[in-house]
Amino acid sequence: MNPITIIWNFLSNTYHRLGSPREFYTISRYTTPVFGALFLVLSLIGTYFGLFVAPADYQQGDSFRILFVHVPVAWMSLFVYVVMATAGAIGLIWRMKMAFVVTICSAPIGAAFTALALMTGSIWGKPIWGTYWVWDARLTSELILLFLYFGIMAVYYAFEDRKTAEKATALLSVVGVVIVPIIHYSVEWWSSLHQGVTVFAEGGPKMPPEMLLPLAFMAFGFMFFYGYALFLSMQNKVLDNERKSGWVRALVNNKEQQS
Amino acid sequence: MFRNTSSLIQPLVFFIIIALLFPFSLPAEGLLLQRIGGGVIWVSAVLATMLSLESMFHSDYQDGTLEQMLIHPRSLSLAMLGKALAHWTATGLILTLFSPLLCVTFNIPSEQIWVLFTGLLLGTPSLTLIGAIGAALTVTLRRGGVLIAIIILPLYIPILIFGAGMLTQVAQGLEVTSQLYALAAILALSITLAPFAIAGALRITIN
Repeated sequence: MNPITIIWNFLSNTYHRLGSPREFYTISRYTTPVFGALFLVLSLIGTYFGLFVAPADYQQGDSFRILFVHVPVAWMSLFVYVVMATAGAIGLIWRMKMAFVVTICSAPIGAAFTALALMTGSIWGKPIWGTYWVWDARLTSELILLFLYFGIMAVYYAFEDRKTAEKATALLSVVGVVIVPIIHYSVEWWSSLHQGVTVFAEGGPKMPPEMLLPLAFMAFGFMFFYGYALFLSMQNKVLDNERKSGWVRALVNNKEQQS
Repeated sequence: MFRNTSSLIQPLVFFIIIALLFPFSLPAEGLLLQRIGGGVIWVSAVLATMLSLESMFHSDYQDGTLEQMLIHPRSLSLAMLGKALAHWTATGLILTLFSPLLCVTFNIPSEQIWVLFTGLLLGTPSLTLIGAIGAALTVTLRRGGVLIAIIILPLYIPILIFGAGMLTQVAQGLEVTSQLYALAAILALSITLAPFAIAGALRITIN
C-alpha cells in the first residue's frame, strides 16, 4: 500500500468512528485535554511575546497590543461559522448525527467569538478612532454575523422535537453561508473606516515578524480553544441526546458506584 | 390569498402607516424628509413584507394543502417558487405600485421616484423569496412571528443597502447602474436557490 492510501484509510476510519456518538465520546475524552493544554501553552507564549517582546506601533503606541486578541477572535468568528455551516451541510446530506451536534454546539461559541471581536474592537476604537462605535463596514457586518448566530440558536430552541430542530438549524446555517459573502461585500462597498487587509495582503504581510509571530501563536491558540470548548460542549450534548442508550447508563452507573 | 381581501390590504396599510410615522417623529423640516424619505420607504417595505410572511404558509398548513403538495410527485421547489411569486404580487408588487404616492408626500424629486420604484420592483421579490425560507422554517410553530424577524432581518440587509444606497447616489448625481445590477443579481440568485431552501425547510418541519 502506498502512503496516501494508508493516510486516506486512517482519515476515513477516524471520520466514521467520530460519526458514532459513543466512539466520539471515547475519543474526545483523550483529545479534549490535549486541545486545552495546547491552547494554554500557545496563548501564554503568544501573550508573552505580544506584550513584552513585540515593539510598540509607531503610530498607535502600546494600545495596538489588543490586536493579539482582537484579530484572532475576529478570524475565529468567521472560521466557526464556516465549520458550523459545513457540518450542517454534511448532516443534511449524509444524515450524520454527530454533524448536527457540531453545528449546534458551534453556534454559541461562534457568537461568543463574534461578541468578543466587537467588544475588543470598540475598546481599541476609542483611543484610535476617538469613538467606541461607528457604522462602518467591518463593524456592521460583524454585528450582522452576531445576529445570524442568534437566529440559528433561536431556531434550535424553538422546536420541541430534537430531530426537526437539528435539521432546521443546519438548513439555516447553510442558507446563511450563501448570504454571508453578499452581506460582507454589500457592506464593504457601503462605507469603511476599518484598517484594510494587513496580514494576508498581496506581496506578503505588512507587519514586522515580531508582531506576526505572537499573532500566529494566538490564532492557533484560539483555534485549539475552539476545539476544546466545542468538544466539551459536544460531550455534554452527546450524553444528553443518548441518555436512554445503554452505554450512557453504564457510564453513569459506573460513576455512581465509584463515588 | 386573493380570496381573502384583508390579507391583501393589511400589508399595504401597514406599509403606509409605518412610513407616515416618520414625519410625526422627526423635526418638521421639509429637506430632512426629502433626504431620508427613500430610506424610510425601503424600511417600511421590508417591515411590511416581513409581517406578511407569517401568513404565507399558515392557511395552507392548517387545511392540509401543504401536506398534499409535499406528497405530490410534482417538484415541490417549483410549486414553492410559484407560491412565493403569487405572494409577492399581493404584497411586494402592491407596495411598489403605491410607493410613488408616498414619495410625493415626502417631496422626493421625480427622478428619484423612478429609481426608488425600479429598486423596489427588483428588491421586493427577493425579500419575499428569502423571507419564505424563514416562513417555511417556522410554519409549525405557534409563535413564529418574532422568530421569523430574528432569522430573516439580517439576511435582508444587502437588499436594503443596495436599494436605499441608490437614492443617496442619485441625490448626489451619480450613476446607479451598479446597484441595480447588484439587486438584479440578488434576485436571480434568490429565484434560483431560494425555492430549494423553502422546499427543504418544509420537508424538515412538516413530518
